[in-house]
Amino acid sequence: MRLDIRRSLMNDPWFLSGALLGLVLAFLAGAGPWLAQYNPHDMRFPPFTPPSSDHWLGINDGGMDIFSELLYGMRNTVWFGLATGVSALCIGVLVGMACAWFRGVTDQVLMRLAEILLAIPAVMILILAAAFFRPSSWMLSMVLAALSWPTIAKAVRAQALVVRKTLHIQAARQMGASGGYILLRHMVPELFPLYLIGFAAKARMAMFMEASLSFLGLFDPSRKSLGMMIRYALPYYYLDIWWNWLLPPIFCLTLLIMSVTFLAVSLEKVFDPRLKEAL
Amino acid sequence: MESVMRQKRKRIRRLPQVLAYGLAALAMLYASYSLPRWLPGDFVTAMYASSHVTLNAEQEAELRAYYTQQKRFGRYLADFFSLQWGYSYAFLSPVVRLIREALPWTLLLLGGAHLLSMCLGFLAGVEAAWRRGSALEKAGVGSMTFLEGIPEIGTAVILFLVFSLHLGWFPAAGSETVYLERSGAQRLLDVLHHLALPFLTLFLAYLPGNFLLSRGSMVMVLKAQFIETARAKGLPPLRIRYAHAARNALLPMVTRFGLRIAFMVTGALVVETIYAYPGLGTLLFNAIAVRDLPLIQGIVLFSSLVILLVNLALEFLYGWIDPRVKHAS
Repeated sequence: MRLDIRRSLMNDPWFLSGALLGLVLAFLAGAGPWLAQYNPHDMRFPPFTPPSSDHWLGINDGGMDIFSELLYGMRNTVWFGLATGVSALCIGVLVGMACAWFRGVTDQVLMRLAEILLAIPAVMILILAAAFFRPSSWMLSMVLAALSWPTIAKAVRAQALVVRKTLHIQAARQMGASGGYILLRHMVPELFPLYLIGFAAKARMAMFMEASLSFLGLFDPSRKSLGMMIRYALPYYYLDIWWNWLLPPIFCLTLLIMSVTFLAVSLEKVFDPRLKEAL
Repeated sequence: MESVMRQKRKRIRRLPQVLAYGLAALAMLYASYSLPRWLPGDFVTAMYASSHVTLNAEQEAELRAYYTQQKRFGRYLADFFSLQWGYSYAFLSPVVRLIREALPWTLLLLGGAHLLSMCLGFLAGVEAAWRRGSALEKAGVGSMTFLEGIPEIGTAVILFLVFSLHLGWFPAAGSETVYLERSGAQRLLDVLHHLALPFLTLFLAYLPGNFLLSRGSMVMVLKAQFIETARAKGLPPLRIRYAHAARNALLPMVTRFGLRIAFMVTGALVVETIYAYPGLGTLLFNAIAVRDLPLIQGIVLFSSLVILLVNLALEFLYGWIDPRVKHAS
């Protein structure tokens, strides 16, 4: 069955293009500090210099090399997405498993909490927190994760309740396996596809939010980010520099969001048994 | 991702859901009440020193008093519901008035784009599911998935550069031409002319989600036995498609709405800002740029409560679309 899934993933053009794009962008983001010739905070170049062999995308209004900025910005956006995705996933799996395993009061309390969090628009809390406290981007990513785990927890809980009743879990229990052993060795690996779906969805949301909120100026202004580059380039759209300053960050951001979206769509399609029949 | 079983259980527990919205609203209000009280030291000086707004001594004292007053939460709630949301020192105007001026434009833009994209997306999704496997359907799913991957910032800037700057077909900012007395019809045309680009951007951003979601659920519904029965009875295809199937395919769109709203609001903020459309998003952008705390707080709280209300209304709409809910509860 696992092999089946791998084959259908490999045959899905959306998965392939998403993964390919993702790998290229991840390489650019990961190797950013080595690929960039200049420090993106270095302000000693003449502003508004057009692209040349020294500065591939020219210089911005503050005298900084745009290409280096682009690499660092992409790196920050990617990290923000991954960090939020991983944290939301961890909380979600923990809560979902706890609900399915302990049931009763634990389940009731945690699920009610999840419903309340689902109803709260996370953007608004983020804006409020960012405007008042100006926290680091890591802090904001943790806040976003703390607000966005409920969907993962609900999916994990529903599936874990089903798995709990299966024969091999019953057998393990009969043989006297402890709760922790069953959870770690049987339940957690069993739900594997759900994690990928949840992670991809959350990482996508987080990258989208990071770009939008940094565009709105809610992140630390000294932190390079694609959204902030767009924000600073936009007032100069009437100059003839939009194609080397405004478009590259937009292009990178679009490719990034596209890659995660394709992965998310394809994973959901392949792993969700109901949808698999549908597509 | 929601299984049919879970949806059924969800339908039965509607009252707790309503309660959850109430608690969420209360949590938002409490966060907005308590956050400024956690701020360290003399934040008024720190915040406004780094913004472009200069306060005179009197205004600064007033602002500090506003944020350090020992107000009970109950009093805060009473003030909130009697629309005393503070005073914006950047715009020199009460927060309520600023929000009231911006709100109609946001409603027009966001509400309009959402309704249109939902109707068209749903119709297209239903038709696509009906023609499953055809070339047209495959092209539709492909292009919509592609479109789903483009963030609003990208679409907005590109459309702006092409149609506003390069071709000059549409105005670059604002919601209507100012200082111009016009008759009703001409004014309407002017407003629509300004609305076109931001509206198109948001429409393009919302459409793929609606299309893919309704297509997916419609495909599932078309497999149900009652559709088989309807076919066997010899009902006309149009009747099967809309009277029998589409109504059931509508449900996931309503339940998913709450999850998608975070994306929608964030996107709308960006789009309004890029086109300088005078709605709540641009107001919030300007408030953030000058660190106008009372205004930020007011907009955030107001829009959160509106979002919660919309969700609550949908919860009831859900019961109306699906009579089974009413019988279950």
